[in-house]
Amino acid sequence: MTAIATIFRDVTYRGREGQIAWMLHRISGVGIFLFLALHILNVFLMSFPSDVFNSVLFFYHSVLFKLLSVFGLYLGVLYHALNGIRVVIVDFWPGAGRYQAPMWRVQMVIFALAFVPSAAVMLARMF
Amino acid sequence: MQARPFARPRPASNFEMYAWFFTRISAVVLFLMALFHLVYMDIALGVDAISFQLIAWRWQNPAWRLFDLFLLTFGWLHGANGMRIIIDDYVHAQGWRVLVKSLLYLLTFVLIILGAYVILTFKATG
Repeated sequence: MTAIATIFRDVTYRGREGQIAWMLHRISGVGIFLFLALHILNVFLMSFPSDVFNSVLFFYHSVLFKLLSVFGLYLGVLYHALNGIRVVIVDFWPGAGRYQAPMWRVQMVIFALAFVPSAAVMLARMF
Repeated sequence: MQARPFARPRPASNFEMYAWFFTRISAVVLFLMALFHLVYMDIALGVDAISFQLIAWRWQNPAWRLFDLFLLTFGWLHGANGMRIIIDDYVHAQGWRVLVKSLLYLLTFVLIILGAYVILTFKATG
């Protein structure tokens, strides 16, 4: 319970939108980094005969990986990409920092509008 | 004019400034390239279509190899730089920080070499 209370206190600290945006950016960033390490090693298998690469495809075609690729990788990359652009705007556009919170809310609407239909297309094809 | 006693000391190198700038430049590049890569591979083609034969077909075009090489280096360096910042934030003990960062730089070196090697030397013989 203490751990849950700590997490609740941390995410509801006074940072509001900016703090939640930062936390999600960091968590998605680490997740993408870990996937990318696996992904590069996987593509490196292309330098061996074709059955080597094809023999690991069962992992990428599994139900667990397909769900993770939509609700982990794609969700994380889309959030990280949109939030990253907001960070770049705030850093390079004088005065934009005052609007970072409403910009984050607009960003999350764009995120939902982009994620829901594309995730539906991917899931419809996968299953 | 009085001298400024609390003037910030000049940093010994501009590395952190260049790293900060690189993160933002590569962010804009990756916004276009990484999202295109995901939409093309996972939505247009789909995970089930991916195989050795599909990537061999894709790499017949040198433009795709160049695209993948850019994505590899910009993507990994952006991520590795982010991890460097995260390590600085959470790993306080000097010895552990040096160890974890050394592993990060070793991984960066190995993965970029392996990735670049396969992209540049792949021969579509099956």
